[in-house]
Amino acid sequence: MRVWSTPALLVICLTGAALLGGTGLFLGALFLHVAPANAVSRQYQGDLDAVVYPEFEQNWKLFAPNPLQQDLTVDAQLQTIGEDGQVRTRDWLDLTAQDIAAIRGNPAPSHLDQNMLRRAVDFYRSTHPEQEGAVVGPRGALAQEYLKRIALQRFGRTAGGERVLQIRFRLGTATIAPPAWSPEQVDTGVQYQELPWWPVSEDDYRGLG
Amino acid sequence: MAGVRGRLPGAGVSGPIAAGEAERRPAAGIGRQRAGTAADPAPQPAPAAPATRFERLFDAFTARVQLPRQAAVVRIGIALAWGGYLLREWPNRRELYGDRSPWSAELAGKLLGETHAFTVLTWSDSRLWFELVYHLGLLAAVLLALGWRTRASSLLFAVTAVSLQNRNVLVGDGGDNVVHLMAIYLVLVRCGRAWSLDARRRRRRPPPGPTAEPRAVLDALATMVHNCGMLVIAAQVVLIYSTAGWYKVQGSRWQDGTALHYPLHLDYFTPWPGLSGLLGASLLVTFLLTYGTVILQVGFPFTLANRRLKNVLLALMMAEHLAIAVTLGLPFFSLAMIAADSVFLPTGVLLRVERRFGRWVERRAGRWVERRAGRPRQKQGREDEDGRTDGRQEGVAERGSEELRQASG
Repeated sequence: MRVWSTPALLVICLTGAALLGGTGLFLGALFLHVAPANAVSRQYQGDLDAVVYPEFEQNWKLFAPNPLQQDLTVDAQLQTIGEDGQVRTRDWLDLTAQDIAAIRGNPAPSHLDQNMLRRAVDFYRSTHPEQEGAVVGPRGALAQEYLKRIALQRFGRTAGGERVLQIRFRLGTATIAPPAWSPEQVDTGVQYQELPWWPVSEDDYRGLG
Repeated sequence: MAGVRGRLPGAGVSGPIAAGEAERRPAAGIGRQRAGTAADPAPQPAPAAPATRFERLFDAFTARVQLPRQAAVVRIGIALAWGGYLLREWPNRRELYGDRSPWSAELAGKLLGETHAFTVLTWSDSRLWFELVYHLGLLAAVLLALGWRTRASSLLFAVTAVSLQNRNVLVGDGGDNVVHLMAIYLVLVRCGRAWSLDARRRRRRPPPGPTAEPRAVLDALATMVHNCGMLVIAAQVVLIYSTAGWYKVQGSRWQDGTALHYPLHLDYFTPWPGLSGLLGASLLVTFLLTYGTVILQVGFPFTLANRRLKNVLLALMMAEHLAIAVTLGLPFFSLAMIAADSVFLPTGVLLRVERRFGRWVERRAGRWVERRAGRPRQKQGREDEDGRTDGRQEGVAERGSEELRQASG
């Protein structure tokens, strides 16, 4: 072992103590963050959030407490206006089917197909309270614009050569059938949630290429 | 030095490659010999007195880079996972993180204003800046995997990876989360001590003389930061499995033994529906895998007290991640998880791998770098790395190549 001078030893010991203490506090904060809400984490909520967010987020409830048991379907529909001024409502387009088609048979599916639309809908749902008359926060507006732009990128600027006026979505969920040996009976039909028409302007296309 | 190393349980951890520069001279030649047979040429204040428990702990924390090979595997694994991902998404990069993204710079800016997450991509909206960051990220991944100027590479890797992910957090999954955290932790640890071009360069330099104290103090500080960093990486992996496991225990589907059935039938996670159907077809298999997953995840942290059991569970977890990679179509998530798990790989196994393949890979990589640099190799020799390797190092290379021949023969 090296023989240190006293000042050197002091620097090493102080830094070492600070490092060990810091490491302990950091790991303690991570633990309290992933643990169920408890007396300590409630007491120090602000401090814990300051450590964990934004760069040390912990999302480890992987398929827990229960795995997702519903398939998502997202359909979108356009309303266009022709040169004659006539407004036409176009057919529904199944956006998730495009994703699934890209994923099937692909050993390394792209985040573009596997995550973008799926997580945009999660984001939308988490920011739009179900109750009637509930106020949508600032993140709700971001989620709406994001979902709209994802669909517009896939549709393109025109539909049938006509300018796009409005867009609307319907979000479907279908419960996955239980395994063959299970006695459970579930309805596997698609339940739709229809969203209102959202106006489309030139701004919504910015950068979409 | 050698005597202390021989007595410590973590003895194998600091071999010739891992040994600090100051301790390299004695360690390189005698590391493999029986402890105590070699006399340390450095002057020792009290050669006969055995170190106290505190002194040994102090030495282990301030002077020993713990688990250098495990750090190297985590480094290489994370770099390959993220580098592979960037390569795979290269055609989609602008839609995911760039100027063509539905998550426009404006939307991202509003969210970042709330979260204060770090990204260099908001510094400029120009296409050129984005392309530069993306391609620097790819380059950093390659350099980090090779271990070239590892500290600088790891910093570039962390800055680019975190920047890209924070530009659009809404396309990420668990794998991105793991890469994000590990990228930051890797900056703190000396992950280039083994299995890297840096380690190769260090071995080829003439052994340095005694280090001046200020430099030695800095070296000790860096070692302490490394050791804390390795502890954080290990604790992070434990937290991942504990959280995943303990919350599953509470889930009705994990309790009734059918949980595995559901992910295997989610449209978004079935690239091979036939394979998924086959795997989930049997009641018994589904039940065993469902319960096995929970037991594995909950139990893993507790098995750390027992080496053998820990290694068995580690192998099972890595196998499960390989299966997830294929069946659920999550190769980069799985690779990142396997890379993080690697912090718990046993040193003995890594040493075996090192002896078999390490030297060979390093030599190949070194030649590749030399060719790129346009420097012709001086010799066409079989195993000699350059003209000035001394006898001892040559001996090591001989042994390595013999083993390699035996392994392939």
